[in-house]
Amino acid sequence: MTDPNVTALVAEETHQVPPGGAPAPRGSRSIWAEALHTLSRRPTVILASLVALFFLVVVVLPGAFTSTDPQRCDISQSKIHPQWFGHPHPFGTDVHGCDVYSQLVHGARPSLVLALLVVAVSVVIGMVLGLLSGYYVGWVDAVVSRVIEVFLVIPLLLAALLVLSLFKGIDTGNGTFGSIVQPAIVLTAFAWMGYARYVRASVLETKNLDYVTAARVLGASDLRIMVRHILPNAIGTVTALVPTAIAGIISTEAVLAFLGVGVQPPAISWGIMISNGAPWFLGGAKYLLLFPLGCLVATVLSFVVIGDNLRDALDPKLR
Amino acid sequence: MTESATGPLLQVEDLAVEFRTPYGVVRAVDGLSYTVEAGRTLAIVGESGSGKSVSSLAVMGLLPTPPARIAGGRALLHGRDLLTLPAKEHRAVCGDHVAMVFQDALAALNPVHTVGWQLTEALVARHRIPRRDARKRAVELLDLVKMPHAQQRVKDYPHQFSGGMRQRAMIAMALAMDPEVLIADEPTTALDVTVQAQIMRLLAEIQAERRMGLVLITHDLGVVADVADEVVVMYAGRAVEQADVFSAYGSPAHPYTKALLASIPRLDQKGGTLDVIPGRPPEQGSFPDGCPFHPRCGYAQDVCRSNPRPEPVEVAPGRYARCHFAADVMADREPVALTKEVR
Amino acid sequence: MSRYLVRRILQGILTLFLAVLLLHLLTTLAIQVNGNPARAFFGDHVPSKTQLAAVEKRYGLDDPCFDQTGNPCLGPFVHRLGDYLHGDFGTDLHDRSVTDIVSTAAPNTLRLFAVVTVTWFVLGMLLGSVAARYRGKVADGGIRGASILIDALPVFVIMLIWKYIVTVPVYTSLRDKLGADSFWATLFKPSFDRTHPWATVIMPGILLGLAGSASFIRLVRAAQLENYGADHVRTARAKGLAERHVIVHHIVRNSAIPVVTAVGFVFTDALGGAVVTEGVMNIYGMGGTLWRAVQTNDVGVVMGVVTLLTVLTVVVMLVVDLLYAALDPRIRFD
Repeated sequence: MTDPNVTALVAEETHQVPPGGAPAPRGSRSIWAEALHTLSRRPTVILASLVALFFLVVVVLPGAFTSTDPQRCDISQSKIHPQWFGHPHPFGTDVHGCDVYSQLVHGARPSLVLALLVVAVSVVIGMVLGLLSGYYVGWVDAVVSRVIEVFLVIPLLLAALLVLSLFKGIDTGNGTFGSIVQPAIVLTAFAWMGYARYVRASVLETKNLDYVTAARVLGASDLRIMVRHILPNAIGTVTALVPTAIAGIISTEAVLAFLGVGVQPPAISWGIMISNGAPWFLGGAKYLLLFPLGCLVATVLSFVVIGDNLRDALDPKLR
Repeated sequence: MTESATGPLLQVEDLAVEFRTPYGVVRAVDGLSYTVEAGRTLAIVGESGSGKSVSSLAVMGLLPTPPARIAGGRALLHGRDLLTLPAKEHRAVCGDHVAMVFQDALAALNPVHTVGWQLTEALVARHRIPRRDARKRAVELLDLVKMPHAQQRVKDYPHQFSGGMRQRAMIAMALAMDPEVLIADEPTTALDVTVQAQIMRLLAEIQAERRMGLVLITHDLGVVADVADEVVVMYAGRAVEQADVFSAYGSPAHPYTKALLASIPRLDQKGGTLDVIPGRPPEQGSFPDGCPFHPRCGYAQDVCRSNPRPEPVEVAPGRYARCHFAADVMADREPVALTKEVR
Repeated sequence: MSRYLVRRILQGILTLFLAVLLLHLLTTLAIQVNGNPARAFFGDHVPSKTQLAAVEKRYGLDDPCFDQTGNPCLGPFVHRLGDYLHGDFGTDLHDRSVTDIVSTAAPNTLRLFAVVTVTWFVLGMLLGSVAARYRGKVADGGIRGASILIDALPVFVIMLIWKYIVTVPVYTSLRDKLGADSFWATLFKPSFDRTHPWATVIMPGILLGLAGSASFIRLVRAAQLENYGADHVRTARAKGLAERHVIVHHIVRNSAIPVVTAVGFVFTDALGGAVVTEGVMNIYGMGGTLWRAVQTNDVGVVMGVVTLLTVLTVVVMLVVDLLYAALDPRIRFD
């Protein structure tokens, strides 16, 4: 009895059927569709997605939410308690007279852009290295595995603290990109290993399956085999990790900013707001801590709920 | 057929097992009865899904009882009904008298304990024999199954054995408590043909030495012919034929048995196509009305297609077949159209 | 088995060496990019002449390699390795040796981790086993949902909420009712107290353990589920063994393997979490030391502590690997 995957594959590789025109290996499409179906039924996931989407919109279009400049601070207006919407300072002002609401809106950007950037790049690096080391094995694998182990042994936060402390004096500019480039580089450098390992394991698993061997026999190039036949299997696990990773980086940035080594003033981020606001919690200005903390919690929570549910939906073993 | 002096070791009467599935309640075993006697081998033959393994697991109390349920019948071990015992006692009593050997030795043995430890696990845990004695006993057991270098192998782990050796180890483990009945569930299916022969021979020797009753569950008719004294042929959860092997193979009294035997390729027949049984065994839960075999049966008549299902017919002393036309099948005659009163 | 042991240990040493080299390269690059080594080490502080001289001597900063960006500076590296092997991990801004600081701080971190590990195992085994046993029912779904939520809140957020929103009001009211030295009051103290080193570490430890326990709960559940239906469990039951014996020797024993390997994965996250926990709760442990050093930009301490913790991580990973081999004979013979 022929494996239907092999039949479809032969048709595709011998160009009797255009790529993508052949029925996808029965596994992949149904897993995704099924996962999406399961997830769209869960109210918690829907809610979380809406929240995450909301914050993404805030990042992209801060101007739509506020026209106040967060850096224009009037010291005579300091420590005004929240006046709520309809007033010039809906969430109040901080010690220096800067408007809290606009700080929140603009502070979303470094956190989220950093998280998305770091995760995107580290996923790509991890997948490429994982693919190469799993596919070619031999010394490529030995080297990559050793590198992975070395990086893994140094905890992410610690590496970031060390490197950023050392590079503290260096000025990289104030724009969105400039204020996050240092943490971005460090966090990416220590975040790719997990993906590399998953992908490598997935490659090792799938590379000896019948339909891959069939593709090779039919003369498909290495690259083609890797991308078209092996990668789709690995993508599932990796995708499930992405939302949780984003949440992790958002909160790591908050820690770094809290300690003064993340995004640097005068740029604003939620971590900096928390750092500034914490001492005022008992000093009569609870809102200075609670607003940025609340935003942080909401964003992180939503990404993690999405990520965990996605992972559960894609993992057959957890059923 | 000689009566054993001590009476039957294990008597299964009218066993019925149901499973609760998302598609409804399914009868995996329906009205199965057989007897196991000392020194004799009973073979239970059938396709996958015929209920042959399930019936033994039920007797041993190894079926998970949320989805499964013993719906009826008795399993008498030395006259005591195992099925009425609470689960813990059921397994304890079984453990002392009935042992089971499973198909996939690699999965059936725990990978993190040495074979020696597993061999005497029950002895140590239940009879509290001291460790040194346990080790000696483990080596003895391996010697029993003719395992080379038994002294070293006791300290090895299951993954360090070859398939055949692992099966021997499992048999040794089954013998640890000196059981009177040994149930072997497809003991050789996962093995090479040459190794199969060795294992079957080993089982036969051990049985003869210890005068055990052996229940052999298999789908391999060749092995049955070689080794078994009696055979029970199962189909769709029911025993469709029960007889001594010689008669069953020589003059089968059920169309299924007959078709099975006819489908075995023979070395002394050349050419032609293989006789196959058309169709497939019915899915659990969707058995047809009347005799479950009728859609595939060459002898099927109207009476076969409607309820009630055929009851066992005694076609010869001690031989039973569940077929309205059993006598005709046995005599190789065309079936005479029957009215309902005539059996 | 001993061959495997030796091999793993050698690998561990190699990894450690490479990790320390990596840290060195990063530090070197920072110094080179910063131009002025004093700026790299002191940040906004203005160093005294003696401090500057000490740093230059210790890190061999007069070596010309530090003027060329990209030069790996292996000479100073070897020199520093020598220092490490002598137990010299640098000094802080006040010339106190890092090893000195750490030895006073380490016991508190150990206490914290003791609580964390107990929390992991208790929660993981308990909730994971319950979830496995009642699979598909309310208990299982509830536990899984809770573990998602636990995962959701990063340690930083949990600690901030705990410190500012929970402990402050609770502590004040308990202190007023039961006295500042009572057990319950100290349990909820918003910050660490040297006179009650265990009591003030328990809650932060439990919270930190909670944050990482989600993986353990999931793992234990999955491992036990796999084992419940496993053939070897059926064989054990067929031998007539009591259910308790089967559970201990065949289910739990086999599920221990993935749980132990999980410790290896979770440990680095836990270290990061410990830094945050100790920092926010003012616990005078290794993480707290690091936290404060970053805040005050005391780079010498940061470097020393990070290196030390890296060594610790390698050792823990090695122990986990060896434990794994002890538990699972299948991997010993590769």
